Amino acid sequence: MATDVMIQANGLTKRFGVVRALDKVNFEVKRGEVVGFLGPNGAGKSTTMRILTCFISPTNGSAKVNSHDVFDNPLEVRRSIGYLPQRAPLYTDMTVWEYLKFAAEIRGLDEGTFKKRLKKVVEVCGLAQSLGKDISTLSHGYRQRVGLGQALIHDPPILILDEPTSDLDPNEKAEVLRYIKEIGKDRTILLSTHNLAEVEEACARAIIVSKGRVVADGPLDQIRGTTGRVRYVVTIDEKRAEASNKPPSAVQAQEALERLNGVKSVRELPTDETAHKFELAGAQDSDLRAEIFRLMVAKGWTLLELRRDAQSLDVVFRDLTRGDEKLDRGAGWSAGDDEDEDEEDEVDQKSPAATDEEESDEDEEDDDEDEDEEEAADQKSKGKS
Amino acid sequence: MSPMMTIAKREFRSYFDSPLAYIVICLSFLALGLLFFMFNGGFWQLDRALVSRLFEYTPMGLSFLVVPVVTMRLLAEERRSGTLEMLITLPVKDSDVVLGKYMGALGLVLVLVISTLVYPIGMFKWPWNLGPLDAGPVASGYLGLVLFSAASVALGLLISALTESQAVAFFLTFFVLGALWLFGDLASKANDYPALAALLNYVSFQSRLSNFWRGLVDSRDVVFFISVTVLSLMVAFRALERRKWA
Repeated sequence: MATDVMIQANGLTKRFGVVRALDKVNFEVKRGEVVGFLGPNGAGKSTTMRILTCFISPTNGSAKVNSHDVFDNPLEVRRSIGYLPQRAPLYTDMTVWEYLKFAAEIRGLDEGTFKKRLKKVVEVCGLAQSLGKDISTLSHGYRQRVGLGQALIHDPPILILDEPTSDLDPNEKAEVLRYIKEIGKDRTILLSTHNLAEVEEACARAIIVSKGRVVADGPLDQIRGTTGRVRYVVTIDEKRAEASNKPPSAVQAQEALERLNGVKSVRELPTDETAHKFELAGAQDSDLRAEIFRLMVAKGWTLLELRRDAQSLDVVFRDLTRGDEKLDRGAGWSAGDDEDEDEEDEVDQKSPAATDEEESDEDEEDDDEDEDEEEAADQKSKGKS
Repeated sequence: MSPMMTIAKREFRSYFDSPLAYIVICLSFLALGLLFFMFNGGFWQLDRALVSRLFEYTPMGLSFLVVPVVTMRLLAEERRSGTLEMLITLPVKDSDVVLGKYMGALGLVLVLVISTLVYPIGMFKWPWNLGPLDAGPVASGYLGLVLFSAASVALGLLISALTESQAVAFFLTFFVLGALWLFGDLASKANDYPALAALLNYVSFQSRLSNFWRGLVDSRDVVFFISVTVLSLMVAFRALERRKWA
């Protein structure tokens, strides 16, 4: 049993000056697990990964990788892992082949093994066309592939990937995820991302961190169930109604919906149509759709849309990490190494996947509007599915 | 090949992947030629077949141009671009990184130093033969140059380890090495203050080197240069390790 634990973090705490980047983080990753490491920017994902790869040391706590301690045996730890840092920083003056050769030489691979591994890595990462090119001429997506190739060159039992799919186009993303799933069968993979769809695709388990703490850790289904709510979206036409009935005003409709049994809250959502759109929250194991429909029939209102969502991972994520982003943006990290990490993160946030939340986040302050974020996130996940 | 040698090899080669190495080598040879033949009552006016001027001007060129340029990016650039994280998370010790980079940079500087051998060879062996070569001072002069290069590259590496900006690293190295060189000139003007002059002479690379030009290999000078080298590398190692705790 004990030997099956490949990564073990024990009360990891990391302070940068007065800022506590990690606060007693505990988790285990077992052999053959593909674990998604989730969290808003600045939550401590990269810091954790840097500790696990012995790039920085924790202020407190300990970690073991492949049963080697990160303090006592950093070289053995690094031999057991392939690591892709955020944004794949590579020596741009080398060609792809030279770079992979360099990594292999430092890892002590002999010529024969290198050739064999190179073949496999080139195939997997789609690097055949660019082996002879200077890394400086490659697009970011290709650099990411080279970084991934470098992490795989020695066939490590453990892979630690810091946002491996950022900057890849959708096809590349799908390919990388497929590959991660494939190699994850007999390997241990810890991958960080803020793209939740990817986690749902590639990982069976997720660890969610927020403000340096683990706020959820478990199989995806279990995490989805943690906040225990179901949401409904109801859209009612504001111009037309059945027969002699008058179409409702927003207030009328909201009040009517609130009176329904089992409805916990009702919020109006913005919409482009000439309609009233509401979001309802209900209890986890209930289904209010029939009641909503009957209400519409009784009032003679025109129901344009009725939808029930099981809690999506997006929403859970938001619930668990709420307030985090604003907080971090206000305070900011102050100390050394993490400063540039934060900058990078800020840039990352501007990536297309995150723009919806970004916009709503920027100019809305109160809690009410936060629900809109959920909506935006929801539309996003709809778009993806 | 050990990780250290792999890093050294990569570092050395990367100089030649950019125009930097070529520019530095060409410029320094041009400057050395001008200084040697023209400057300050040059070779022709002096009318004596001496190579000692070579040992006087080469370290100046190294201090003011070559070493700052060669060492400025060593660790500063790696930190800025994040490649340091990639490098250090490979199974290498921090000391491998520091020593590997040191050797790569020192390698380039030594290539330059060794190429200046064309002066004594050209003057005394082939194609010209201006007389018998006084081999002693030439040998000790080169020993001094090698020791000097070792110490100044180590200092440059240390400064590069302390900052994230190549420009800052360049100017700091330029300033420090320049000061250590000019202290020698300053010392000769500080006759009224013997204690100050002694101190300046003690730390000045120029004063330390001048013994070598005269063919004098003083163990104190050798130990001085080696100490500067080792100390700088140790501090650079600490500076690199500091990232873990900062």
